Amino acid sequence: MQILTQLIFSGIALGMIYAVIAFGYQLTFATSDTLNFGQGDALMLGALVGLTLVGLGVNYWLMIPIVCLFGAVQGAVVERIGVRPAIKIKSEFGWIMSTIALGIIFKNVAENVWGRDDLKFPSPLPESPLKFLNANVLPMEILVVGGALLMMLAVEFFNRKTIYGKAVVATFNDRDAAKLMGINTGLVITFSYALSSMTAAFAGVLIAPLTLTGATMGAVLGLKAFAVAIIGGLTSGMGIVVGGIILGIAETTTGFYLSTGYKDVPGLVLLLIVLAVRPAGLFGKTAIKKV
Amino acid sequence: MAADPIKIGVDGPFTGGSSSMGVSMRDGVRLAAEEINKSGGVMGRQIQLVERDDEGKNERGVQIAQEFINKEKVVAVVGYINTGVALASQRFFQDAKIPVLNNVATGSIITHQFDKDPENYVFRNAAHDSIQAPMIVEEAVTRRGYKKVAILADSTNYGQLGREDLEKALKAKGITPVAVEKFNIKDVDMTAQLLKSKEAGAEAVLTYGIGPELAQIANGMTKLGWKVPIIGSWTLAMANFIDNAGPGGDGARMPQTFIQEPTTPKRKAFIDNFVKTFKPKNNRMDSPVSAAQGYDSIYLLAAAIKQAGNTEGPKIKAALEDLKTPVEGVVTTYTKPFSKDDHDAITANIPVFGEVKGGRVIFANAEDQKSAGTVRLKK
Repeated sequence: MQILTQLIFSGIALGMIYAVIAFGYQLTFATSDTLNFGQGDALMLGALVGLTLVGLGVNYWLMIPIVCLFGAVQGAVVERIGVRPAIKIKSEFGWIMSTIALGIIFKNVAENVWGRDDLKFPSPLPESPLKFLNANVLPMEILVVGGALLMMLAVEFFNRKTIYGKAVVATFNDRDAAKLMGINTGLVITFSYALSSMTAAFAGVLIAPLTLTGATMGAVLGLKAFAVAIIGGLTSGMGIVVGGIILGIAETTTGFYLSTGYKDVPGLVLLLIVLAVRPAGLFGKTAIKKV
Repeated sequence: MAADPIKIGVDGPFTGGSSSMGVSMRDGVRLAAEEINKSGGVMGRQIQLVERDDEGKNERGVQIAQEFINKEKVVAVVGYINTGVALASQRFFQDAKIPVLNNVATGSIITHQFDKDPENYVFRNAAHDSIQAPMIVEEAVTRRGYKKVAILADSTNYGQLGREDLEKALKAKGITPVAVEKFNIKDVDMTAQLLKSKEAGAEAVLTYGIGPELAQIANGMTKLGWKVPIIGSWTLAMANFIDNAGPGGDGARMPQTFIQEPTTPKRKAFIDNFVKTFKPKNNRMDSPVSAAQGYDSIYLLAAAIKQAGNTEGPKIKAALEDLKTPVEGVVTTYTKPFSKDDHDAITANIPVFGEVKGGRVIFANAEDQKSAGTVRLKK
């Protein structure tokens, strides 16, 4: 029992790492039907900028808003030069290539600035584990889960309760109608990209003390997060959290009960099953697209 | 008119997870080449290094091999950190009859890849895994008396070949590991692997992987509040393990052919010169073993070229297999390091155990420390 608790706790912490990154995919999909495939790299940039700030002597908690601001600017840049031209010419796929390309560029820039070695991110909390239901949990893991939930709640609150948020939702529902109603949809889309990269940068500094920090940290995490976004559904914030936790627990329990060599298999099998049975994801809304 | 320089290819990962080994190796190579050039070069010709970054990727290694042979026309190659890259690239040098001196990669089969060919152009001055694995087992089982051990190895060529060697060495002692677990490069959570080992009652964890993931193992142990000794391959001495594992990495032990301590005048000169030239952080070499072996590889090659009196591949190879004068290196003094059938310069009696302590690698055993001034020769 104790082992299962431990596996579940570690799985939840791991799953929330995936979920915070996946959340960013959902934000841009919601407004523009496009994804930032450089999401993992936005996370990496956030973590490395945060590491530099901490290295300069900035307090961890003070550093977070600066990194968020950096992430927002970075996201806006991606939208302006990578996504907007593709939307303008109504290209179905241009944004895929351009966001991937920008991601590679960011990674290469980061390699030149910070090197390609993995670095340690100093933990703001004690590194000794806490006992909880007979299982060990790191204080940092609790911070990741709490921080991620808070962030998602904040964004959900913004979307549902504020007038700006309503503009985002309207853009999601029908971009052309929203435009006719006087909503500056271009701005809304830029904003959603800024928000998505901001969440990624925030996720970066949140998880960096648990993972290692380095130019290549985004690749594997970004891919896993993508699977989470598909499993949970690209239109549902709730689905992202559930999807993340499912994948995280699947990985840790398979590793223990089956074989650590097959750790990554059930998550991806689950992805295939979800795509086959419910292509919109476990919590996604299916919409009929008129052509 | 000055004679043409002698071109030597240097291949290693200078970026990425194995870069602390690659860069240290390159710096050691540069240091040796510079010293040789200052004292007049080889046969009156300067050594010119052609350095390429293989990023630890097999396909890059293959591209670089072709560039070395067809475009740069190097006379020999030193380097290779990653066993996989070495195995993928060596075929080209073998076919082109260009000697390769592996100065870091430890996969046991590297020097035996072309055993079936009449001539073998692959040499090595690094402690291969069939030396390291029995040493690790000796330390864990015989010296420290652990009967239940778990093996944690990464899923690359390096980790899995090393795991096989470890299992073989354990079997020779009549021991079956209580758990054999795998992890992938860039894995951030080791809970499952560690819990399995813990539940199986492991008294020590034997590792085969590289720095970043090894650090995750140490960090995972801290998280689970489970503290057993980590004993593993020499990569536990990598800077990115030591730095990322922090206090959790203290006490980890691994075989080392070179420890950054000035135990002989030659080693002192090398360390001082290295620290002065490359100014590593905290005056600690990122990977002392790689630097030392890289340094020695150039001296070995220079001696062979000098003896051959020629830069043709087959002649250099013949000279390497029959070196007349001993070469004083920093790892050991190489007296007849290679023969026709034996292309490995390092034997089991040369490496000693190192231990991570306070962010550095030191001698693990007091008697090794005491006898460190005596150079251990190949047996």
